[in-house]
Amino acid sequence: MTVAVVLMALFGSAWLLAVIEGWTTTGRLSLAAPVLSGLAHLGRESIVPRSPDRVFFEAAPVLLLVVAVLGAAVLPLAPDLIIADLGTGALFINAALAYVLVALIMAGWGPDGAYAMIGGWRFLGQLIAYSMLIVMPITAVAMRAESLVNTAIVGSQAGLWNIVYQPLGFVLFFIAAMALAFRAPFDLPIAAGELAGGVDAEYTGVRLAVLRLARLTLVVTLASATTVFFLGGWHGPLLPPWAWSLIKTLAVAMSMLLAGRYLPRIREADLMRWCWTLGIPLALVNIIIVGLLVLVVP
Amino acid sequence: MYAQAFFVAVFGLAAIGFGVVVFRTSSMVRSALALLFSQTAVGCMFLAMQTEFLGVLQIMMMATEMSIMAIFMVMFMMDPGGLGGMDMSHQKRFSIGAGVSAAVIAIAVALLSDWGPAADQVPDAAAQTRALGMELLGRSMLIFETAGITILTAMIAATAVAIPVQNPASKNDTEASE
Amino acid sequence: MTSDPSITATGTRQKRSSVLQKLVSRALARNLSCLIVPGPEVALAHGLDVKAAGMRISSTPRDAGVLLIIGGLSEKMGDAAAVLYAQMPRPRAILMVGGQTPSTLPDADISAGFSQEELTEAIGRLQRALAEGAFAASPEDFDSSVLHASIEYVCPMHPEVVEDEPGSCPKCGMDLVAREAGESTPEHGHEHENHHDHEHHEHEHEHEHEHEHEHEHCHDDEHHGHQGHQDHEHEKHEHGDHDHEDEHAGHDHGEHDHSGHDHGGSGFMSMIEVTKDLPRSADGLQMDWLEVPFGPVFPGLPGGLKLTLTLDGDGVTEGQAMSLVGMSTAGEDEGMDMDMDVETFLEHLSTAMPLAPVSYRLLACLAIERVAGLEDDPATAGPRAAALERERIASHLGWLAQLGRQLGFAWLTERASTLQLEIQSASRERLTELEPALRALAARLGRTPLLESRLRGIGMLPPDSTELRGPIVRAADEGGDAWARLWQRLSEISASLDLIKEAEEPRLPALRNIGHVSGTGEATVDTPRGEARLSLKLERGQVKSYRLDTACSHHIGLVAGLVEGRELGDALVAVGSLDLSPWEVIS
Repeated sequence: MTVAVVLMALFGSAWLLAVIEGWTTTGRLSLAAPVLSGLAHLGRESIVPRSPDRVFFEAAPVLLLVVAVLGAAVLPLAPDLIIADLGTGALFINAALAYVLVALIMAGWGPDGAYAMIGGWRFLGQLIAYSMLIVMPITAVAMRAESLVNTAIVGSQAGLWNIVYQPLGFVLFFIAAMALAFRAPFDLPIAAGELAGGVDAEYTGVRLAVLRLARLTLVVTLASATTVFFLGGWHGPLLPPWAWSLIKTLAVAMSMLLAGRYLPRIREADLMRWCWTLGIPLALVNIIIVGLLVLVVP
Repeated sequence: MYAQAFFVAVFGLAAIGFGVVVFRTSSMVRSALALLFSQTAVGCMFLAMQTEFLGVLQIMMMATEMSIMAIFMVMFMMDPGGLGGMDMSHQKRFSIGAGVSAAVIAIAVALLSDWGPAADQVPDAAAQTRALGMELLGRSMLIFETAGITILTAMIAATAVAIPVQNPASKNDTEASE
Repeated sequence: MTSDPSITATGTRQKRSSVLQKLVSRALARNLSCLIVPGPEVALAHGLDVKAAGMRISSTPRDAGVLLIIGGLSEKMGDAAAVLYAQMPRPRAILMVGGQTPSTLPDADISAGFSQEELTEAIGRLQRALAEGAFAASPEDFDSSVLHASIEYVCPMHPEVVEDEPGSCPKCGMDLVAREAGESTPEHGHEHENHHDHEHHEHEHEHEHEHEHEHEHCHDDEHHGHQGHQDHEHEKHEHGDHDHEDEHAGHDHGEHDHSGHDHGGSGFMSMIEVTKDLPRSADGLQMDWLEVPFGPVFPGLPGGLKLTLTLDGDGVTEGQAMSLVGMSTAGEDEGMDMDMDVETFLEHLSTAMPLAPVSYRLLACLAIERVAGLEDDPATAGPRAAALERERIASHLGWLAQLGRQLGFAWLTERASTLQLEIQSASRERLTELEPALRALAARLGRTPLLESRLRGIGMLPPDSTELRGPIVRAADEGGDAWARLWQRLSEISASLDLIKEAEEPRLPALRNIGHVSGTGEATVDTPRGEARLSLKLERGQVKSYRLDTACSHHIGLVAGLVEGRELGDALVAVGSLDLSPWEVIS
């Protein structure tokens, strides 16, 4: 039951995001558009490139989707609405999301094309930039909650959301999450103007449909993680807990989608430099501040 | 109990299976990712044995590590895609010997060690994590911190060695001598 | 079959008839995405708003259902279009706007003229056709001569062994390696081809892989790379890779002491040993080089421009650009005469330059009038100058839209395209109304985060570059990078606006009556991309020969220097910042 509800919320949010994305790109608001586009993908031929690494080529979109769903499985929508409230939930989500990289490397290597391959390996460079900025803010969050259990993390924010308690961590995590979801301006592995679609470039038909669904789901999962870690999860007045979770998640996801429209793609070298020379010191400062707050403020 | 044993066995076999794939393919990327999934299966064994933190950590760390290994393979190996049907094995006799003796030692350790009585009750994941943290920052702190600093030093040293010398004066000298 | 338009057999997909299939057909018709050949900037320059007409513009053939061809294509572009069509998943269709379908493609499913109404109406027809006929009982394979490259299999050790089928070498048993017929065998330094024993054999086998490395990822199955050979046989695929002979094929082979390594026991070959003689790239790593085509239909580059980059990782080792649509000046050769009516010549020149038709029209008018000895007429000079400035604004906006496509900056593309469409045919009054919008666009770009760091320091020209023209030379003093060029173009937009405000109503240049004059004349016009010179020879009112000298012909030569040693993204930005119009490259 819980599984069904959470999955429905996850894919429902992904569908809503697709509607919004379609609205911003075509200027038409159509609730049926994602469904139609999915059907159209089913109608198209699903081409296998000439000498693929077949296993990787087939597995990559599915792996990406599975990873996004697994990540969502440890994030609570409401105190009792969570698929698996693991004792190491905050770590588990890192573990699941690390496989986004694996999926992209497989998608890049699989089709045996230069654009895809460069896209896949580019994401490895991107991971080296963003990964610390995912892990370190979560560390600070776990420090405040004194737990890696995600429901306990939300519980720790009952009085004050982490976005207020540790705004620095929130900003770093939000940016890193966008890089992890490879949304513009961090869409280096896709990069239409540079790699003609990169890792997406060789996928058509059903496989492309799965890949697109997986990308949207990944955005929802990351938005949900941002909500749980920084926006107080289900806390909020009047509305039921699950509604607050959904509203916050959708708001975060939408801002992730929209931000990219107004920004040019970041240079890979700049991303790396800023993450390491600015991001990581800031994340350390955040950990120190939170540590002091935890020790000093009762 | 039986379910647990079943899953441990399944993941164990999966780990061995992927481990075999590592050597059965000539594609470097496949090989690296097969090793990754072998390690992931080991992580899942940890999970099945109710050591959640270790399992999740293993699963997380291996993804990045093996991916980085894959790119190094692609950068430096001669035929990373394995399209040429080239035989990737070398030093066969030595590796067979090393493999067999390692297996014998591992089995011997498993059989001969005194593992003590089996625990009736495993502490829950949160308690385990807490205990692990206490251990890491208590008794074992010195060991872990030393290891951490050593690795960091090695990383910095390796980077420093890899950066080409950018000394304008000496560069001018070499240009002049040419 | 009714008289309704239908999809050609090479575009349909085989499927049994069912309710689900009807539903899918509808969905397909509602979800049109197109790949524009030569490129979206050409559609914009013709005043076509593809998005408003109801189609999404996709950046790859894999994601497109419609091949939208704008205007007649050169022969090389026709070949490229055929490859793109072959790479598109079925059901697929061809929509031809203005001009003839290239001979390499099946006949267009739908044709339309150069107008927004006709395009919208054509897309409507296309949707009906797709909804009805996306699936057919007996689809045909699309086949075209440009898709064929015969593959032959050679033994890396025995150049005389050439087979049609993959297999192993009859002499030594090694796997045969595929290559395109006609390519020469990679060079080997092995002297003892016929008498190697087993140990040697194994060793050389490994060595061979230093070359084969690139077969790996370098099948030019790339989209947009026009020598791709697509096997599109109905969801089947064929194995077979091409041998790309690259720059360092045959590198360093002679130097190895073969007898030194036998693979009996401890002959482990270290990576360092294997890579030590490979060329090093800017980052100091030795890696294999791939030669990757970017273009002629690449989302980040102007359509018709083909950039061939030799990549080493994601760094560019070397690259060069060529135009597949460039004009060849007919009659330039001595003794080859052409006879062309001056009016026809005017049309010929302005349609040959789709990205700056007004400028070249003006150029031709001026040159012809020079022949006739006519002086500038103040009555026409004002409107002509205004039309030129208006085109400059539109062209720079087109470049901005292209920059947005390259950088994934969707807002910029959208805004600049909208303004460009408005301005192309705007009156003076309308231009004055649009002025705040244009200034707001520039202000917005100044405030956009990441943009400066993306462009600053990219595309610096070597100090000894000559023959720079237009915005590029004017930006050279301001730093001479892509960022300076952006601001140069933005300031030219506002300068042009000021000029138009003081000038007269823009009017397309029309040729004054010159009668049947003979003689030679020369004129220069400062086109949006820089100065263009035209000299021509008239005989009794007929154009006998002409010589055209454009900015882009010179600028395209800068590409090699700009991309060398840069990261791929930076290299593409640098090329983009030149605002090359492949049409204006005179071959």
